[in-house]
Amino acid sequence: MAGDVTTDPTTLTEAPPPERDEAVAMAERLAAAGRAKRLSDRSRKILAYAILTLFVVIAIGPAFYLISPAFRDSVSLFTYPPEWIPSEPTLDNYRFLFSSTGYVRWAINTLIFAGCTTILTLVTNSMAGYAFARLRFPGRNVLFFVILATLMVPVAAVLAPTYLTVNFIGDLPIIGNWIDIDTYLGLILPSAVSPLGVFMMRQFIETLPDGLYEAARLDGAGEWRIFTKIVLPLIKPALVVLGIFVFMLTWASYLWPLVAATGNDYRVLTVGIASLKGQFVTDWGVLAAASLLTIVPVTIIFLFFQKWFVQASMAGALKQ
Amino acid sequence: MTTVDVPVHEAADDWTVPSLSDAEYRWRARRYRLRTVRRAAGFLSPYLVTWGVFLAIPVGWGIFLSFNRGGLIRGDPRVFVGFENWTRTVGDSELRTAVKNTGIYVVIAIVVVFALAIFLASLLNHYKKGSNFYKVALYFPLLAPPILGAIMWFFMVNFDFGILNLIKRTIIGGDGVRFLGDNPHALLTIVSVEVWRGLGFWVLFYLAGLQSVPEELQAAARIDGAGKWRRFRRITVPTLRPLLLFALVIAVIFNFQLFDSVQVLTDGGPRLGTATVVWFIHRRLFKFQDTGLAYASSIGLLIVVLVLTGLSFWLLGKRRQREA
Amino acid sequence: MAEVILRQLSKHFGSVEAVEDVTLRIPDGEFLVLLGPSGCGKSTILRLIAGLEDATAGEILIDGELINFKDPTKRNVAMVFQNYALYPHMTVYKNVAFPLETARMAKDDVAEAVQRAAEMLEIETLLKRLPEQLSGGQRQRVALARAIVRQPLVFLMDEPLSNLDAQLRLQTRLELMGLHERLGITTIYVTHDQVEAMTMGQRMAVMRDGRIQQMGQPTDVYDVPANTFVATFLGAPPMNLIAGSLVRDNGHVSFRCEGYELAIDPATAAIAPETLEEAIGEAQLGVRPEHLTLASLDDEGLPGVVRFLEPVGSDLFVSVNVNGQPVQVRMPPDTKVATGSDVRLAFDPARSHIFDADSQNLRS
Ligand SMILES: Nc1ncnc2c1ncn2[C@@H]1O[C@H](COP(=O)(O)OP(=O)(O)O)[C@@H](O)[C@H]1O
Ligand SMILES: [Mg+2]
Repeated sequence: MAGDVTTDPTTLTEAPPPERDEAVAMAERLAAAGRAKRLSDRSRKILAYAILTLFVVIAIGPAFYLISPAFRDSVSLFTYPPEWIPSEPTLDNYRFLFSSTGYVRWAINTLIFAGCTTILTLVTNSMAGYAFARLRFPGRNVLFFVILATLMVPVAAVLAPTYLTVNFIGDLPIIGNWIDIDTYLGLILPSAVSPLGVFMMRQFIETLPDGLYEAARLDGAGEWRIFTKIVLPLIKPALVVLGIFVFMLTWASYLWPLVAATGNDYRVLTVGIASLKGQFVTDWGVLAAASLLTIVPVTIIFLFFQKWFVQASMAGALKQ
Repeated sequence: MTTVDVPVHEAADDWTVPSLSDAEYRWRARRYRLRTVRRAAGFLSPYLVTWGVFLAIPVGWGIFLSFNRGGLIRGDPRVFVGFENWTRTVGDSELRTAVKNTGIYVVIAIVVVFALAIFLASLLNHYKKGSNFYKVALYFPLLAPPILGAIMWFFMVNFDFGILNLIKRTIIGGDGVRFLGDNPHALLTIVSVEVWRGLGFWVLFYLAGLQSVPEELQAAARIDGAGKWRRFRRITVPTLRPLLLFALVIAVIFNFQLFDSVQVLTDGGPRLGTATVVWFIHRRLFKFQDTGLAYASSIGLLIVVLVLTGLSFWLLGKRRQREA
Repeated sequence: MAEVILRQLSKHFGSVEAVEDVTLRIPDGEFLVLLGPSGCGKSTILRLIAGLEDATAGEILIDGELINFKDPTKRNVAMVFQNYALYPHMTVYKNVAFPLETARMAKDDVAEAVQRAAEMLEIETLLKRLPEQLSGGQRQRVALARAIVRQPLVFLMDEPLSNLDAQLRLQTRLELMGLHERLGITTIYVTHDQVEAMTMGQRMAVMRDGRIQQMGQPTDVYDVPANTFVATFLGAPPMNLIAGSLVRDNGHVSFRCEGYELAIDPATAAIAPETLEEAIGEAQLGVRPEHLTLASLDDEGLPGVVRFLEPVGSDLFVSVNVNGQPVQVRMPPDTKVATGSDVRLAFDPARSHIFDADSQNLRS
């Protein structure tokens, strides 16, 4: 029947079937509603962007709020009404920071601490991930499960025994010169234990086709050569993500460095800057200067590599 | 037409090389299989040694320590005290305050940050124009270490020149608010700082979840004339629910460990108003007072986190099962 | 230069008997084809020889040396995988050079060897490209080059042509045969394609469910299939099987089915008289479509009704209903026949086969 209707246009215009009638009416109603809604849609949109912008201001505002205090005399902060732009801008705070505090040393320590932790983590985790993904050995699943169970162990929960372990190793001959409280390795090694990377690397290596691995074995390559020449180049993206993640987490860490590096020689930036905020008196200008100087380079690097950063932070959420 | 005699099994005995005896075959097969163990050991040992010495051993040692006190510094020898630490955890008022504060903090922080994050994520999901800028900007607070974030807010909430007090004085008049000096302001300030820091992460997290809803489904709902609220309840909530539970567990695990900002902003004060569990542990340990109680609370913290970890794996497993 | 021997080789995956009691001897320089349906254990045999799987039982010998317990990296066998398994992050040159560099060959020698292999496979112009920039056929050649470059003892090929389109497959088939002729390396070639098996193999082994069904020169296997599986697996369309029974009638054995009886003369049928005696009972008659002809109703032959006609240009395939079973007949394309007509199917008894109740060919 439907075929008859469509083949004859006159029938269509003269006597539209009832369903069509309803459809047209519906379309008209919808169009009218659409016109009425368009205005409110517009204002909604403005409101939405206003809210988003407000939160962006809140997100980045505090960093900008450091700029003015960093370049002025601390006393002038307390004038009222406030003087937003310093009348006598000065670099005194920075001069003080570099000459009278350990800032440079802290920065270098932080780079060593976070850099070595990252490299160590990448090396050990990719190797372990390879073993779990590719090598068959008895007890593999049990071992993996035990390691994974420690995924979330908080630093605070093992703070005392870790401190004691490092202290104990520090008392041993020879090795104690390298690993102790107030040494780089004493700082680094306990920061490089999280199984997250092992887990990530295993997942990633498992997705590589078996054929590659088998072809390489038949080509005469041993496990180490397969690992370095085939696997590592192919998981480079995962390594970058893990590397950024570990670096960001390590340089921002506070509790372990606070405990493990008490002297100025091994103090890192987070602990150092926190120490600038005195218990009773604070040199606001120096504190602002140090904080600002610390976040600017990270921000610049971030803006260049934002995609990687975002991925890295999601990796931290155990994204599956 | 040819007929050839091709035996299915060419007689094995004709061949010159003798077969291995069963016993020898099994022994050699076993030795051959074990070579993978050696290789695995080579690849695993760097991680296993670091993990074992600096994580596994400390966990075990920590459990043992929870039945002791002292032993952190030379002048204070370790003494075995049995269950004393554990019984005292119940009665210690400072610890109780710390647990209570941590609980309040965890609940408020997570509720606020999740509500804001889901709201902002659905805005970003709907208004896609320029969303990349907003995502990047919202992510910014995560770049700074928690310590630096706290210090930024130290300036913002200062009694004399902090912008919040400047605004308050200008608009409402009167005296400033002692954001860090009074209770419960201090704890709420800490909550705000942590919400500010975590918001970007959770926005991205939920945005990823929302974007996993097929476009067609959203569009279909829109054509059906489903209202905004209905659409939110019928489509957004069901997609986010499994995510939400998992996120909740993770968020509890992380927030339970609040320490950095407390330490720089208030050092637990005023009058323990911002004392948290980790702050308590650190203080007891490294002021070298009552270390036994700190040992026991460390393990308490460990147990809570392990249970939550197990829960999160279980949730993940369930989700994966459902997807399969 | 290598002779490969598999002695009572088995490989079980849990309860799956992927390979069961396989005994084979592959003389030096032979091109052996393993043929069988998918899942019959062909790949598993290759992987056992390569060392990618460990045997459950049995022995593998190359040149008299037991290699079961030798690491795959040291076996010096090369394998061409179905999906080529080229290293995606390396250029073609690097891919081909990889086994040589692994063996710590001097740089100049590597370059020379790669060049030689590249020339042989005509991929000199592709050396700087990455695998993703190659077509399927080109990848195939690179995989072959990587396999031959280090002159392995044994060549293992696992369905290397199955990812190529028909025309390329034909061309590459000829090239592979040329390559084998030139290099003379013992080759085990796995395929489920009977045309490849028939045309390429010097010998072939037909497999089913992990076991070897028959082994021999392709034409011999085709002409005298050992059992009904081989008979129907080879040939397109396959050999026709007609169910019936062997009966003895006053001293003579004959094959009988409804409406037809064929007296069997042991001499023409090449069946030992004792064997024939033992097989009395259920049996099947097998005749290939090309050995059947349509005859008139007056002639001797199987009675049937023409159901379908399938002209394919070079031939006309006629599907005839015999006792409810379809029987394929190959006729010249200009044959005149109408569907529905009653026919007789005539054949030369010397080209027919009798399979006993266990589906074994009685022919010796
Ligand atoms: N790694 C394995 N685990 C379990 N079963 C397997 C494995 N590899 C092969 N099989 C099984 O062994 C049988 C033979 O497989 P395969 O040798 O790949 O067959 P073919 O190559 O002839 O198609 C199949 O039933 C297959 O399912
Ligand atoms: Mg196969």
